Amino acid sequence: MTQPEKEFASFRDPSGFLFYQDEVLYRQVNQAYQPHYDRLMDSGLYQALIEQGLMVAHEEVEGISTPQPDLAYKVIQPEMVRFISYPYEWCFHELRSAALITLRLARLALEHGMILKDASAYNLQFVDGAWKLIDTLSFEIYEEGEPWVAYKQFCQHFLAPLALMASKDLRLNLMSRLFIDGIPLDVASKLLPLRTKLNLGLLTHIHLHARTQAKYAGKEVRREEVEGKISEKSLMGLLDSLRNTVKGLGVRISGTEWADYYDATNYSETAFEEKKALISRFVDQIQPAEVWDLGANNGEFSRIASDRGIFTVAFDIDPNAISKAYIQARKDRETNLLPLVMDLTNPSPGLGWAHKERQSLIDRGPVSMAFALALVHHLAISNNVPLPKLAQFFSEVCEHLVIEFVPKSDSQVKRLLASRLDIFDDYTEAGFEAAFKTQFEILQKAPVPESERTLYLMKVKQS
Amino acid sequence: MHIIILLKPLAYLDPSTGSFIIQMLLAGLLGIAVGIRIYWKKIVAFFRRGKGAGVQDELDEMDEYGGKDDASSIDQDEE
Repeated sequence: MTQPEKEFASFRDPSGFLFYQDEVLYRQVNQAYQPHYDRLMDSGLYQALIEQGLMVAHEEVEGISTPQPDLAYKVIQPEMVRFISYPYEWCFHELRSAALITLRLARLALEHGMILKDASAYNLQFVDGAWKLIDTLSFEIYEEGEPWVAYKQFCQHFLAPLALMASKDLRLNLMSRLFIDGIPLDVASKLLPLRTKLNLGLLTHIHLHARTQAKYAGKEVRREEVEGKISEKSLMGLLDSLRNTVKGLGVRISGTEWADYYDATNYSETAFEEKKALISRFVDQIQPAEVWDLGANNGEFSRIASDRGIFTVAFDIDPNAISKAYIQARKDRETNLLPLVMDLTNPSPGLGWAHKERQSLIDRGPVSMAFALALVHHLAISNNVPLPKLAQFFSEVCEHLVIEFVPKSDSQVKRLLASRLDIFDDYTEAGFEAAFKTQFEILQKAPVPESERTLYLMKVKQS
Repeated sequence: MHIIILLKPLAYLDPSTGSFIIQMLLAGLLGIAVGIRIYWKKIVAFFRRGKGAGVQDELDEMDEYGGKDDASSIDQDEE
């Protein structure tokens, strides 16, 4: 038995913390949180949350040694989440869903005499095709009259990025990567176009909110001035107003960067089906526990794995393609697909305190199998990454690799090279194989029929 | 001297004074809005009857109420 070890990112909330014991994740509930925990469990709120699939379930466990036993009230073992994703990796529709779920959690809590004390987007995860709260200690006993302590956080984590994405550009979701506790409202207010002041929700919850914050910054307010001023009905009204504001924000999923991709490639119908059959064969041969599809577009090939019951993360740089993948996954209640926006030329770094609060992409691996389909030419030619560096990256990310080599004679590569000097002398099938053989063992190689492309199944060499 | 003692012992987020004040300012209005909304929903539901729900509506339905099991649930909304 090893020493219990605290989860690094779990330090803000004095209600408890996460820790690992023998590679199992537990959560300590501190004595300070006892009345709130008991209320959660006894009021019917916990049961309602689990029945509605809104929170990860947990079991109370005994006899587990914890890093801080003197503070402990209880130790619980929460349901495991296979992959932790972050709001800056979500598409608009994912963030919007998470926002509505957060408000639903807050309403449900109020109906049970509790209040959601945290409205952090990091507390939600898309698990088994549904959004779930992963922080069991997010509720506290509600006392009528008190304001919503997480109001600012909700506006910063959800409303500000959603409004910026809806009214400016979908890529502004990346701003959440700059500000660990959500986009400050004064920044959002300055960046949002003037017309958002005509939207009553955005006018109050962002623009006026930011102004009031500035006006009262550093000022002291007596308890009596605020206490008892916000009735439960008003609080419900606030949650409702936020909900309507979120629902009023929408984006059209127009032609995506890759929307017509499958038509513009030199794939024939046969090539497409043959490629699918080859990948299926590789997946069945290796039977990976998890798959990352790097450059997944709308998840067409990711679903080869996820439809087999293999948990699959579909990454793509195009937020529209990820929105399409997400909407389909959510509508069809697909339980094994997690679509995420990711620029592989600049993937999510380690962020927050000591770079460790939010993990980098590589730190969340390695995964048993990665797909890199129709991807290599984008990284090698559009982004000038030398093939040996590509091989190195993939060897850090996965144990098995299904990778497609797209030669210069392919129409897609021709298009990439049309507007620039061809400085890629070693970009040939032989050059590709030589580079990857330093890190991988090539298990299988198969041409994609009726195309110029080749599919490989590789395995990382044991070092 | 005025001291900020708004926070309950466990509240560890900085909620910002301004964020409290604006809630207070909005409180009256929002309370009234809840009352109006119940009737408003009924009016909207009446006019929307028969119109097919879009993709976004379908997702909202799932996010807000866990998805519809039958066609009538969209009118139930809440309350």
